[in-house]
Amino acid sequence: MPSLSYLVARLLQIIPTFLLVMIFIFLLVRLLPGDPAIAMAEAKATDAQLEQIRHNLGLDQPLPMQFLVFVKNTLTGDLGRSIMLKAPVTEVILSRLPTTIFLALYAIVLAVFLAGPLAFLAASRVNTPVDVAIRSVFQVGLSMPVFYIGLLLLTVLAAQLRWFPVGGYGKTFLANLYHLILPALSVALYTSAIILRNLRASLIEVLDADYVQFARAKGLSPRIIMTRHVLRNALVSTVTLLGLSIGNLMSGTLVTETVFAIPGVGRLMLEAIFARDYPLIQGLTLTFAVLVSVVFLLTDVVQSWLDPRLRQS
Amino acid sequence: MTVLTQTHSRTRGRLAAFLARAFARPSFVIGIAILGLSLALALFPQLFAPYDPLAFDLHAIQQGPSLAHPFGTDNFGRDVLSRVIWAYRVDMQMAFFATIFALLIGLTAGAFVGYYGGIADVIFGRCVDAIITFPFLVLVIAIVAVLGPGLVNMYVAITAVNWVYYARLTRAEIMAQKANDYAAAGRVLGYSDRRIIFRHLLPNAISPILVYWMTDMALAILLGSSLGYLGLGAQPPAAEWGVLIAEGRNFLMTAWWMSLMPGIAIVLTGLGFSLVGDALADLLRPKGR
Amino acid sequence: MKRILPILLGATLGLLATTSAFAIERGGAMTFARYDDSTVIDPVYADRNPDLWMVNGLYETLLRNGPDGSIVPGLAEAHEVSADGKTITLALRGGLKFSDGSDLTGADVVFSLDRARNADLGPWAGLLGAVDKVAADGNRITVSLKNPDPTIISILATFNTGIMPKAAFEKAAGATDQEKARAFFSAGPVTSGPFVMKSHVQGSSMSFERNPNYWRQGEDGKPLPYLDRVEFLVIPDDATRILKLQAGEVDAAEFIPFARVGELGADPNLKMELFPSTRIVYAPINTREAKKDGSKNPLADIKVRQALNYATDKNVLIKLVTFDTGKPMTSLMSAATQLHYGPEALYPYDPEKAKQLLSEAGLSGGFEVKLTTLAGSADDATLFTALQQMWAPLGVNLKVEQVDNPTRGEKNRSGDFDIHTYGWANDVNDPAQVTGWLGYYKQRQAVGTGWNNQEFNTLFEASNVETDPAKRKDEYKRMQEIYAAEAPLLFLFETPFAVAVSKSIEGYVQTPLGANDFSEAWRAD
Repeated sequence: MPSLSYLVARLLQIIPTFLLVMIFIFLLVRLLPGDPAIAMAEAKATDAQLEQIRHNLGLDQPLPMQFLVFVKNTLTGDLGRSIMLKAPVTEVILSRLPTTIFLALYAIVLAVFLAGPLAFLAASRVNTPVDVAIRSVFQVGLSMPVFYIGLLLLTVLAAQLRWFPVGGYGKTFLANLYHLILPALSVALYTSAIILRNLRASLIEVLDADYVQFARAKGLSPRIIMTRHVLRNALVSTVTLLGLSIGNLMSGTLVTETVFAIPGVGRLMLEAIFARDYPLIQGLTLTFAVLVSVVFLLTDVVQSWLDPRLRQS
Repeated sequence: MTVLTQTHSRTRGRLAAFLARAFARPSFVIGIAILGLSLALALFPQLFAPYDPLAFDLHAIQQGPSLAHPFGTDNFGRDVLSRVIWAYRVDMQMAFFATIFALLIGLTAGAFVGYYGGIADVIFGRCVDAIITFPFLVLVIAIVAVLGPGLVNMYVAITAVNWVYYARLTRAEIMAQKANDYAAAGRVLGYSDRRIIFRHLLPNAISPILVYWMTDMALAILLGSSLGYLGLGAQPPAAEWGVLIAEGRNFLMTAWWMSLMPGIAIVLTGLGFSLVGDALADLLRPKGR
Repeated sequence: MKRILPILLGATLGLLATTSAFAIERGGAMTFARYDDSTVIDPVYADRNPDLWMVNGLYETLLRNGPDGSIVPGLAEAHEVSADGKTITLALRGGLKFSDGSDLTGADVVFSLDRARNADLGPWAGLLGAVDKVAADGNRITVSLKNPDPTIISILATFNTGIMPKAAFEKAAGATDQEKARAFFSAGPVTSGPFVMKSHVQGSSMSFERNPNYWRQGEDGKPLPYLDRVEFLVIPDDATRILKLQAGEVDAAEFIPFARVGELGADPNLKMELFPSTRIVYAPINTREAKKDGSKNPLADIKVRQALNYATDKNVLIKLVTFDTGKPMTSLMSAATQLHYGPEALYPYDPEKAKQLLSEAGLSGGFEVKLTTLAGSADDATLFTALQQMWAPLGVNLKVEQVDNPTRGEKNRSGDFDIHTYGWANDVNDPAQVTGWLGYYKQRQAVGTGWNNQEFNTLFEASNVETDPAKRKDEYKRMQEIYAAEAPLLFLFETPFAVAVSKSIEGYVQTPLGANDFSEAWRAD
């Protein structure tokens, strides 16, 4: 297991990063053109009503004051009230977050199950037609925008063949597995293409490596070689890659949730931006940042657990 | 000293050898062919497009592919082939403009902090951490929301986020190169820092960065068309693949050609960039690493 | 036009009534795909269309909007306006109950109306601005006014005066009215309308269940509604919403893009409903002498505004944008609005006349105009492309500026635009709302155009306290004539509400004001 001091150091590193993140989010949201009061009240409100809304939102305070309030409230878990949903931001996000996390995890699982075996197959038959075919298919997957993959799956598998439901999500775990399979697959295709590419390369490298050749020469059974050397290495590189592509995955869910009408935080983010919902945009961006940081941290920990050599650096 | 002079004089011969090796690869040839065609379409759409991409023809609404309209027509009777071709101009522009400034800024910043290190490097590290903490698309969309939708604003938004990735890569490469003998030799010889960075370190560090640029251009097209699809990138009636797919979104069953044709264009172009990028990466990968 | 609409509506309903008199079946559920979710369905706090169009499903008003646009009895079986127009007396029906079985009494009415007119609470209090006092004596409700208000009867049939249960609301946790409303609604509120809200998952789904104590009778002599349940799914994406309907996963989908109306109309499993609406699509023109940047504004000249209106071929726009489901505007207000006056389509396409008007205005050399549109809106993009092609022969060089909704709103308020796209639907069954919005300078500078016409303003003020219906009608006729001639708008078109409904569902209606009415819907299979 990674040492305690390593973990503490890694955690401390997050603090300055987060201060920057908060300044960044705060300024970004304040720079949005268009008056949130107008966005909130729609066209029919009078000027006095707008003034009242601005006051309620604290938008008539000076900027540094607003920032201090923002930091203080964030630390106490109070992200303000969503303008468009008229509810506490924390509550709104917490109610939508599980769907997105479910979708992301589902996509990761699909991606690994899709890419893993095929990468082994390709790596064990380098430059045969099998290898070329597998690589070509995934190369095409890599060249497709997520929204387009989603549209194709939606049209062909859901609308035409009626194998799967069109959008939405279910109420139970199993229903969710069924409802979210197409969106998860559209996110997964891209990620799996990246995994496949790297996994195949690292497998080829490992299979060629001296110690594996040596083990083979020593007469170790292929299964032991696989589990002891090849799999472990493949795992390290895949975990690293998954960690690094978490941002990508989140971006993917954002688009997919829009295409498939899934009520997660990604779609919420777009809606919040179009509605100029300052508190909600702030809260969501922060949520995304926290999610990614946590994943980065976990990746580091898992990595250093799998590969002790990394702990020194 | 000898190392330095040889690096320059040998460049030309090495380039020829390199190209010979590259063109021996089918994937590279296919990639280059796709990119060449894309570039031609982007530069001279008027030569290839049979119709005005914006002209309505109310007598030819949503006709399927035919000899007159090989890709069919859309819900205003516009020729889909012509719109896909004119979109090459916009999308190839996106590939270039959304990445080139990020490349230049990232290269300069990365080289600077990589060479000098110290406090600049620490600050840089924090900024990078903060920026990569956001999912790319979330940040770009947020910035586009600040600036307003549109192509130029989209370039600015992507560049604002994307330079970090180039800078990180450059910094790592420069740090690796700095440890090499010839950098030390240059310093001993009293060359200026600028000369060492730009004449010696960067040229040796640049190939992985250029390879990354290739794949990044493909990513820029994917990202740009996604933004177009979401209504935040290129704006209708302009023809851009993401916008075209969004326009065809409502007619997936009745006029499938409206969204399928631009989709194929995206995939093909993306494939072109990644085939070339992959081939370059393979060829440039130092042996023994 | 004005005559035709109620007749048509009446005919549709009549037809429904005759064909279904013996066939109505009770029970079952209907699943309805919405374009956006409700946030608060409180009569007082509802402020967005997805909120206010749902209120009447939960809360009944004293009076109701009848199918032909007239006012019919609601919770009050009769109403009377005093001779001076300052007192309205209403008689509450006997035996009314809320969904929890408690009695609906005069005290609830006083509570609800007082809450509705409290300017510290919701955005609609102004509609009841003339009310001085509401009192109840047994079943007799007296509404006293400070000054006569011809709109008040319509307001008592408007969602914001829905009757809420006083006792249950006051029992809800919270110190302020807002907190109480939140607690009250999250607990599954006690209602007076045809339905009760069973569950609501924000942004995703909502479920209405039949209110067994609802007062209105169905055709079979038993209380409405016919359905046991209405399930709502929120699917903002048009194409996905329609796919869901075609796959049979939902029974109805609202806001069908007009481009799809023909296709869905041909689907043997579906009925494509085009409900008459008060929705208009128009483009305010900046009529101020100078633009925001200080330069001279050619659009300040009435002749230029008329010329642009003549140069716009509405029929082509109607074909391109609404796929022939819309119709040209005949007045500032939709033909489905009370007191509408408009014998013919405004500014029929006449490029010659446009040319002549421009040369009279001294602009035959051409000029530049900027159209501000909504980014990402396919309709706006089409409008722009078409207008650009229509106006180019006159030397009008149309430029486009694409902004998002809040920015457009800000530009409208600050007068920083030439022409921009806009839409409107009435919330009240009375012409005063739309007329004040589009033409009365003191309200919002006549929808931001800066158009300030003394005669119009005076007429509008007079009509708002006019007790003689005939005189008020004349005032409205004159206002609509002035507005049409002065053209502070580019008059574009009226559009219906397009809802695609499964053949197995009968009787669903979206009213001209937009409200979703499930009270008489039933399932035929």
